[in-house]
Amino acid sequence: MSDVTQRDAFFQRLYELARRDVNIVIVAADMSAPALDKFRRNLPAQFVNVGIAEQNAILIASGLALTGKKVFAYAIAPFITLRCLEQIRVENAIMNIPITIVGMGTGLSYDSDGPTHHLIEDIAVLRVFPNIEIDSMTDSVMAEAYADISCNRKRTNYIRLDKDLCPTVYDADFDFSQGMAKLREGTDNIIISTGPMTHVANEIANSPQFEGMDIGVVDVFEIPIKESVLLEMIDGAKRIITLEEHFLPGGLGSAVCEILNDNEVPIFVKRLGLDVNAGYKHCYKYGGRELIRAGHGIDRRGIEQAVTAHFCAQTQRVTI
Amino acid sequence: MDSLIEALEKKSYEIRRAMLEMCIGAGKGHVTSCFSCVDILVALYYGNLLACDPRNPEWPDRDRFILSKGQASPALYTILADLGFYDKSELKKFNKPGGMFAVHLQKDVPGVEITAGSLGQGYGVAAGIALGAKMNMELYNVYALLGDGECYEGSIWETAMFAAHNRLNNLITIVDRNYLCVTDFTENLIALEPFEDKWRSFGFHVVRVDGHSFEQLLGALKPLRSRTSDKPTVIIADTVKGQGAQSLCYQPLWHGRAPSGQIADRCLAELDRRYQNV
Repeated sequence: MSDVTQRDAFFQRLYELARRDVNIVIVAADMSAPALDKFRRNLPAQFVNVGIAEQNAILIASGLALTGKKVFAYAIAPFITLRCLEQIRVENAIMNIPITIVGMGTGLSYDSDGPTHHLIEDIAVLRVFPNIEIDSMTDSVMAEAYADISCNRKRTNYIRLDKDLCPTVYDADFDFSQGMAKLREGTDNIIISTGPMTHVANEIANSPQFEGMDIGVVDVFEIPIKESVLLEMIDGAKRIITLEEHFLPGGLGSAVCEILNDNEVPIFVKRLGLDVNAGYKHCYKYGGRELIRAGHGIDRRGIEQAVTAHFCAQTQRVTI
Repeated sequence: MDSLIEALEKKSYEIRRAMLEMCIGAGKGHVTSCFSCVDILVALYYGNLLACDPRNPEWPDRDRFILSKGQASPALYTILADLGFYDKSELKKFNKPGGMFAVHLQKDVPGVEITAGSLGQGYGVAAGIALGAKMNMELYNVYALLGDGECYEGSIWETAMFAAHNRLNNLITIVDRNYLCVTDFTENLIALEPFEDKWRSFGFHVVRVDGHSFEQLLGALKPLRSRTSDKPTVIIADTVKGQGAQSLCYQPLWHGRAPSGQIADRCLAELDRRYQNV
């Protein structure tokens, strides 16, 4: 388990970069973080607080970008994406003004805060736009690396930061340029996941319960997904489970299915995520993130059952 | 009459005529929205106020003109063609196959800074550019033209609050106060008045002018190059939506339309008559 959150890893690295590059600017909508407080104190000329005004944050950030700044627009994730969606559409998708949107607390990160603070629609909503890249953070090493990567992007990217401490799965020198990584080798059965669900996928694939089963884990952290890379990573697979802390329509699972369909790859995919038909009722379940996930069958137990049903059924059929 | 003012009056007529012909030819364009702000644009572009270089549209030191009310693009396109940013023949191709532009403002046209059409957005980008100019110690001004109807958008006031707090006195806001929206007059719809008080309370230096008087427009705009105040300035320019073509004035439902047939001929005649002494 990392002792640094994704957010602090990201902003600590950004602080180091900004000390050497006066053109790096943060536009924050009244958001704080321990690493960000240092940035604000020591680099005040590069820190702009717009107040609780996310629409204006995107506009100001885009205007600053037109003057040569590398701008990071930062706020609570649902507000810096959905609240200002049309600003992102016009300034960053249509006009292609490159900024970095940093969203804090994606998925069910804010588990006790109710539906306004959950962000379980952003991948579906943002991946439809040209010129917008979604970067879904898996661990703090990746978050730190994406501070550097974001500074060199020529299009707008959106960094999804999870709020909780999480295990470290990547080495510091890992090359993130493929947009995904095969964290566990396996051919027949593949779990494709994103964000915090990748840790769950890893745990399950490595658990004694499934010992001897051929289960690979692919962590997708960049959307749009690089099709050729994905097809190579799942080459030979017979069954796939996609796993995300996001409503199912339009999410990671949809993106994977589109690629398989468009490339005429006949693999049966089971999508696991939040059930849109259940509405937002889950958001009023309190007692922790795992409890909310359980309502949608994507807690540890629910995923194990799905893996058994989907992957073991395949194994059995092959045996027969 | 001052020779500059006289020249601006003449230019105002020429731009109106060319713009109207363009929109009549295409059967498209927010003619009345353009007519209300043509004089503001002419004052900026021909009144020795806005620094730009048609041979080098990306000139780094140029003043930035942000047409936040993007539906007035035909007025700006006509002026940019007249100044030589591109060939005047482009006007004949307005909204036609092979044409460079259509109804709403687009960034890839030489001399245009932003894409606009969704109201309330260009202004925030303008404020961001103004702040960036201050950070970079650059001296250009940023002019943002808003529609008064655009000021119903909440994001306008998010930006206004930001601009005043950050002392963006290089940001010059001009509101085309034509008192009309799509369906009704602003004061019937949701009252914008007391408009000056609103801007003043947000921390702006407020000037109110007749938006069709070049004396008043130049008088308000000229001193701003000297940054006489540390506050951002808003110029509320009282205008008439459709100014120049009497048949189109004071009628809400002419918004977003170009006249055709006999009405088009009448508008052209009204324009010629109004400016015959220029």
